[in-house]
Amino acid sequence: MSRGRDMLSYVVRRAAGMVVSVLLVVTITFVLMQLIPGDPVSVLLGPNATPEQIEALKRTWGLDQPIWVQFYKYFVNFFRGNLGESIFFRQPVLRIIGQRAETSIFLGIMALMVVVGLGIPAGVIAAVRPNSWVDNSLLLLALAGASIPSFWLGLMLMVLFAGKLHLLPSSGYTSVIATGNIANLKNLILPAFALGFVNAALVARTARSSMLDVLRADYITTARAKGLRDSVVILKHALRNAAIPITTVISFTFASLVSGAVVTENVFALPGVGSLIVQSVLKRDYPTIQGIMLVVAVLYVVINFATDITYAFLDPRIRYR
Amino acid sequence: MGFVRLVLRRKTLLFAVGVLLSLVIIAIFSPYFVPYDPDALSLTDRLRPPGAAHFFGTDHFGRDIFSRVLVGTRVTFILGLSISAFALAFGVPLGVLSGYYDRVGMVLMRVIDAIMAFPAIILALALMAIMGKPGMVNVIIAVGMVWAPRMVRVVYSSTLSLRENTYVEAARALGASSGRILVRHITVNLLSPVIVQSTFTFAFSIMEVAALNFLGVGIPPYVPSWGGMMNEGRTYIIRAPWIIIFPGVFLALSVLSFNLLGDALRDRLDPKLRNLL
Repeated sequence: MSRGRDMLSYVVRRAAGMVVSVLLVVTITFVLMQLIPGDPVSVLLGPNATPEQIEALKRTWGLDQPIWVQFYKYFVNFFRGNLGESIFFRQPVLRIIGQRAETSIFLGIMALMVVVGLGIPAGVIAAVRPNSWVDNSLLLLALAGASIPSFWLGLMLMVLFAGKLHLLPSSGYTSVIATGNIANLKNLILPAFALGFVNAALVARTARSSMLDVLRADYITTARAKGLRDSVVILKHALRNAAIPITTVISFTFASLVSGAVVTENVFALPGVGSLIVQSVLKRDYPTIQGIMLVVAVLYVVINFATDITYAFLDPRIRYR
Repeated sequence: MGFVRLVLRRKTLLFAVGVLLSLVIIAIFSPYFVPYDPDALSLTDRLRPPGAAHFFGTDHFGRDIFSRVLVGTRVTFILGLSISAFALAFGVPLGVLSGYYDRVGMVLMRVIDAIMAFPAIILALALMAIMGKPGMVNVIIAVGMVWAPRMVRVVYSSTLSLRENTYVEAARALGASSGRILVRHITVNLLSPVIVQSTFTFAFSIMEVAALNFLGVGIPPYVPSWGGMMNEGRTYIIRAPWIIIFPGVFLALSVLSFNLLGDALRDRLDPKLRNLL
């Protein structure tokens, strides 16, 4: 009974925190956009615009109103899902982001598969034989992985697999959903690897240290003493208990995957949200920049909230903090 | 002295310190000893592969990659140092105040968390767009604003634990003012976590600066920078991959060395930080 109440109060507290974070994120984006020097309207219309044209556009965008009215409208619009209109595409920002989302989501999922598929086994293998040559070389590889810029790794993979070996396509991506052709995902293999490798290194380091901690525990000694096979002890007893710190790191990789994706999409000419923001920065398409910032940051806050709640379910100790 | 002995004992650390010292020397003196003028165009020497005349080959304008990479070290280090200094200038005072005064901390940490909800490169890109034009100072502000909040967090959590120490309580009991406690007892003891975090800030910020330059929104393209060189070499990536390979190797080596140094300093200066940073 009290267990359920603890949980409920924890969820409520965290949800309140999430709402505050979202409000702050929205406010920060608004403030940032106020910092643009000069007058975005005259910058946009160019030096030949007449004062009447400038006034007219200001009125359409509501820029002639006091700042607090603008802020209020901005807030209301945000919660209605209206993120404004792109200056360059002349379409609602949210729709453009939606059109670009598929590439980024598939890239993210595939990169995450690389992160988990390389990071966890590498960390577990290293932890099982600490200080062996396997451990040392994996550790070195992980350290190198964390230091190599993902865009450079991407370029190198491109030279090797697309340029020399002609094994995989080097750029572009056509929608799987629109064409129904799942083979298009082939175009995302190199980018996903470039993007995932860096984060796999971080996950490997965490997996190794938390596995090492767990493997020292008494119940592991007991399990071994019972005569259980090594593989059972490691996979069933140890990895399960090392899972929480590993999952934490994996959930942290969201921000880092998004950052990496911005550059990786650019390297491989992928039509995703990452290349959209770079284009928008180069074209000074402020509404689109602002929209992407909002979507990504809100997603980050929500993912954090979801992870926290999941832990509280998994590990009762967390709720009392 | 302890640190020198530690460097000599650990091979990886020796490697890191060796690389960093060489890079610092290159950053300071390279303009005086590079074989070619890094900006000299030579259309007869376009896209030459690495060889005796051009160690790292030439780019599509016939410029010597070796000279450009070495000179690019200077820009990288100036930016890395400036960004770390920026992060310190904001991070230490704000972190100490938030850690010491609960009310300030409550408000400021919420804002810091919200800023950190924006992935690093997205925030840096947006700030570059807001400031308008590419340039060194704008890059320092944009990337500095990304890493300052992380410095605030580290200083904040260190201050939280420092203020519980008996000597702080003793100072307060003896009638020391808050200002005196903050400066004489807390800030002084923040040195270890701050040094360690600055090392990591340097590593991450030069990587991010390279990404901005690679995307064409960092410093102007005529200044030789590693990221900018990689951006220019993209068109020729299959014909002349050396344009991209060498700046990337230098970048990765610098980041790796700073990460190794940061790890070692953390273990050496304060093993408790292992979980914090």
